[in-house]
Amino acid sequence: MIAKTILTVDDSSSFRQMLAFSLKAVGYRVVEAIDGEDGLEKAKSHTFDLVLTDQNMPRMDGLTLIRSLRALENYRKVPILMLTTEAGDDMKMKGRAAGANGWLVKPFDPQRLNEVVKKVIG
Amino acid sequence: MKNGLALQLERLLSGVSDHGVRHLAEVEADLAQTGALLGDAIEKLGASFLAIHAAARAQQEMVALLAADNAIAPEIIAKLQAMSGEMNQHVGIAVTNLQFHDLTSQLIGRVLQRVAGLQQVLAAFGSGTLAVPPESGDDQIAALINGINRKVAVRSKRLDSVLWKTVRQNRMESGEAELF
Repeated sequence: MIAKTILTVDDSSSFRQMLAFSLKAVGYRVVEAIDGEDGLEKAKSHTFDLVLTDQNMPRMDGLTLIRSLRALENYRKVPILMLTTEAGDDMKMKGRAAGANGWLVKPFDPQRLNEVVKKVIG
Repeated sequence: MKNGLALQLERLLSGVSDHGVRHLAEVEADLAQTGALLGDAIEKLGASFLAIHAAARAQQEMVALLAADNAIAPEIIAKLQAMSGEMNQHVGIAVTNLQFHDLTSQLIGRVLQRVAGLQQVLAAFGSGTLAVPPESGDDQIAALINGINRKVAVRSKRLDSVLWKTVRQNRMESGEAELF
């Protein structure tokens, strides 16, 4: 069975490192992007099974990335989760309106993260 | 000869500006150094964490091979499995805590932006920038002070509007997860 591939988008390299470590430990493949613009470029050349994105990033933030992805035909149904320090209801509503399927607040617990990811993509 | 009050006002404003800008430059330098140290530390911590984990995994695989060969007594295998479980728990906790750099660098970045904004506000009435007309009477001085108050208020509000607080956590405990 081919492993599912997750695109992780975050401008913090140390954070991406922990995210990749946690996801690869349970068998997912991970492709990293350094910000929203990089994430969008990578998404245009490959349809990932899941996108995990931060909100506050240079060049393109998470909400803008989500809206841009949802405008792509092959990303209408791909699950997208926000993984961000922001926990306010206002931001969550904006995320949901933009097209996010879920919201995780940093820092993440790897076990909990993997439970959520498994629930979303198996 | 300048009205005494006008001269004093000019000296006060340029003094506040010059001292403020100088001290803020030091704050900026210290914060940048703090950021650099934290960046260096997380890079090394991250690398060591992955190396330790890889070594522990390799050790566990060796133990599994020995167990498969019946080379280890069952009670020892049970103890090793319990230790492995404990180690996995600590790995999870370490992963959560190694995310500190992401949160702290966001906070430091915000402080640096605020410092830069304050430097701009103070520089607006620095030495040679704001000249108080020599024959200014009390009314003109009052008008000048009001003008400065308004400018400071506008710049302060502008600074607040771009410094959205993105990190409110005080502890490195895992955050909530919600599926819509």
